[in-house]
Amino acid sequence: MLTELETNLLGVMMMVIMLGMGASMTPRDFRLSFRKPKGILVGLLSQFVVMPLLGFLLAVGLGLPPALVVGLILIACMPGGTTSNIFAYFSKGVLALSIMMTTVSTIVAVAMVPLLLAFYGGLAGVPAEFAIPPGNVAQILGVLLVPTLLGMGLRKLNPNIGATIELIGSFMGVVVIIFLIASWVPRNYVLLLETAPHVYFATIGIGLMGMLFGYWVARALAQDTNRARTISLETGIQNGPLAVLVITLSFSAAQQQAVLLIPILYSLFIVISSTLITLWYRRSATHEQLARDAAKLGAG
Amino acid sequence: MNAQARPWIAAYGAEIPPEIPPLRHASLAALVDNACTTYAGSTAFTCVVPNGMNGSLGFSALGQMSDRFASFLRHHCKLAPGTRVAVQLPNGLAYPVAAFGVFKAGCVLVNTNPLYTPREMIHQFNDAGVEALVICDIFADKLRTVVPQTRIRHVVLAGVPEFFPRIPEAIVRAVQKVWTRSLPPVPDLPVPVLRIREALRRGAALPKLDDWNRLRPGDLALLQYTGGTTGVAKAAMLTHGNILSNLEQVKAVGGRHMTREDCVLTALPLYHIFAFTANLMTFFALGARNVLVPSPRPVQNIQRALENTPVTWITGVNTLFNGLMNEEWFATYPPKTLKAAIAGGTALHQGVAIRWQEVTGTRISEGYGLTETAPLVSFNPLDRATRPGSIGVPVPSTDVALVDEDAEPVPLGEPGELIVRGPQVMRGYWNRPDETEQTLRNGWVFTGDVAVMDDDGYLRIVDRKKDMVLVSGFNVYPNEIEECLSHLPSVLEAAVIGIPDTATGEAVRAYVVQNPDVSDLVTKEAVIAHCREHLAAYKVPKSVVLRDALPKSPIGKILRKDLKAEARAEFAQEG
Repeated sequence: MLTELETNLLGVMMMVIMLGMGASMTPRDFRLSFRKPKGILVGLLSQFVVMPLLGFLLAVGLGLPPALVVGLILIACMPGGTTSNIFAYFSKGVLALSIMMTTVSTIVAVAMVPLLLAFYGGLAGVPAEFAIPPGNVAQILGVLLVPTLLGMGLRKLNPNIGATIELIGSFMGVVVIIFLIASWVPRNYVLLLETAPHVYFATIGIGLMGMLFGYWVARALAQDTNRARTISLETGIQNGPLAVLVITLSFSAAQQQAVLLIPILYSLFIVISSTLITLWYRRSATHEQLARDAAKLGAG
Repeated sequence: MNAQARPWIAAYGAEIPPEIPPLRHASLAALVDNACTTYAGSTAFTCVVPNGMNGSLGFSALGQMSDRFASFLRHHCKLAPGTRVAVQLPNGLAYPVAAFGVFKAGCVLVNTNPLYTPREMIHQFNDAGVEALVICDIFADKLRTVVPQTRIRHVVLAGVPEFFPRIPEAIVRAVQKVWTRSLPPVPDLPVPVLRIREALRRGAALPKLDDWNRLRPGDLALLQYTGGTTGVAKAAMLTHGNILSNLEQVKAVGGRHMTREDCVLTALPLYHIFAFTANLMTFFALGARNVLVPSPRPVQNIQRALENTPVTWITGVNTLFNGLMNEEWFATYPPKTLKAAIAGGTALHQGVAIRWQEVTGTRISEGYGLTETAPLVSFNPLDRATRPGSIGVPVPSTDVALVDEDAEPVPLGEPGELIVRGPQVMRGYWNRPDETEQTLRNGWVFTGDVAVMDDDGYLRIVDRKKDMVLVSGFNVYPNEIEECLSHLPSVLEAAVIGIPDTATGEAVRAYVVQNPDVSDLVTKEAVIAHCREHLAAYKVPKSVVLRDALPKSPIGKILRKDLKAEARAEFAQEG
């Protein structure tokens, strides 16, 4: 569990991250991306249809206990994490698409996450004491949109302040994960040792499968390989810290312990798996570029 | 050669005087000093880096800082008036401080490309006899090789975010240091190295100079290197009078459309004569604001500058305009405040000009100039309808003629080498009497450009004399074919050169780049079919090469000479 101070600190960090996300764009970027909405629609499909379904199937298929089912489904339903933009950048992906997918999914999440949680929670037969109140989720997400708007406004008002909080925000995206791991793991290492392998499998698997399916869904819908890689990362990388915040604000201290397990493990492992996938994607992007160059030579 | 009649004067109408008035200032130092006092309350420069962070300098601050830098050069560095000082900076707030300081010190400014390699730097600094260097800190590592092989006695370092507010400056520097790793450590040098802030601090404690009052229009102001696209770099000697005259000429043709409320986007490098005169000096003298973008590549780097400042003018080259229009954020939301754009540096393609008008609702006025003429020679008057493909009419107080191989005038309407005479014409090439003699004859500059003049004096550049391709005895001008290709939507940009051909002597080869926004693939067949439709048979490319990008000069001119060199190597192998 997290102490109240830690929960508050987590809340503040999330606010800073959202402030930075807001400062990374303008209303114009929104309007632009909706003129050619296909990439974002494909992204929404893989984030809010494919991913939650994967989470549900994994949870049920592995026969996880209710507390872990809730954690896994919650992670699967979360909007894209802001660190995904950094990974998109390093994988030579389409940065603008990544930023827009993160933002749009965060906004859509206000309505979608409560619905998806209620739906899959019911389907998986999660007992009432583990159900996350939908109003609660909507409220937290709604509150987080305020700093996003504020960030956009600040950027408009003063570009220097805007650019500064944008940088602080993306820096904070990494800090918050370190914070979660540092504050939770030492107190719960016994729990980690006792955790069964199939729980680790679910935690690591949900991210990797999200990336795999995200890529192929995008390819099936005629996105080019580069955009598909960006959508893939965006799908697999969820906003883990946000899930932790939702849990700490929804459950009593005793229940938190078990429900927090998957979101925190996820936040830890997704950094590792995304790094590896990013290296691989980066290599593929470079190869494709070289192949294109080679094809063009000698065309005279 | 006699002064020609000036058939273009009719095109001036009532708005443009045929002659410029006598110069109001004796030197650029006097002009700068006057502007800094007159417009004391206004912002002179705003620099915007790609992430949107920015800093500004007002006229009065700039006046004081350039005074201090001048004192530093003369009293601290003990440079004599006339000493050459190289300024090797990307666009940023440090540039005007350094350049204006050099003028006020009575020294000669040597504009230097920041991307030069140590070899190029050593050549240029020794050629000019540079004794002090102001260089951007991200290139400080080159100093280790360069300084010991030159006569440089003082080095001043300035950063890209120099003179930004403290926090953004610290952040940009931290990002350069940790993230992009573009800030190398300063090597140990046999000469003193100071940061520009420290140089200004020292200058502040020294007596203020006023002997720039003794500078005269005939005194040397600038050594402006040129010939990067032809051969060995050589310096045009531009005097204070050359630049001041050209400023008057710019004002005569465009002044009515410019006010001190204006804001010009300066994405072209200031070390190039086009941006130096058209942006830096013209708008500064007017009391208006320059928005400096340190690097316009990728074009995305300009986005925040356009977003955050009310830009009314854009100066650019064909590739920059083309690049901007291929950015969705620009094409969908062109700046609302824009009044007009000025094109120069290289031929503006009509496809680009037409699309620009459609996208922005404003026009591009094409001008023509060269380093040797500080630079403006001709311009499309903004009050008249644009004449497609024309570089307009000569500016006031300027004579222009078209001549054949024997330097005799060609009949009107025939192509001939463009020659120019006027108060903006350089004094000659620095330490190169032979080159000077070839280029500068009886006060006329021989431009090496082939042009045609219409009845009413409007000029059209046909091409560079030496880029002409000779196909079966016919002259083919690469510009015409490139222009034709610019109308093919699948072509982003194109370059045309001549290649050896056993049947026709030379044949036309086109290098084309696929437009990523168009789904039609550019193919050899499509290119040839398009040219067949619009060009005479002998002009149609025999060979078409698809490329991802074309070689470009720092200002964005497509470098045919690099493609020619490649082709030479290719055919040498085959032969």
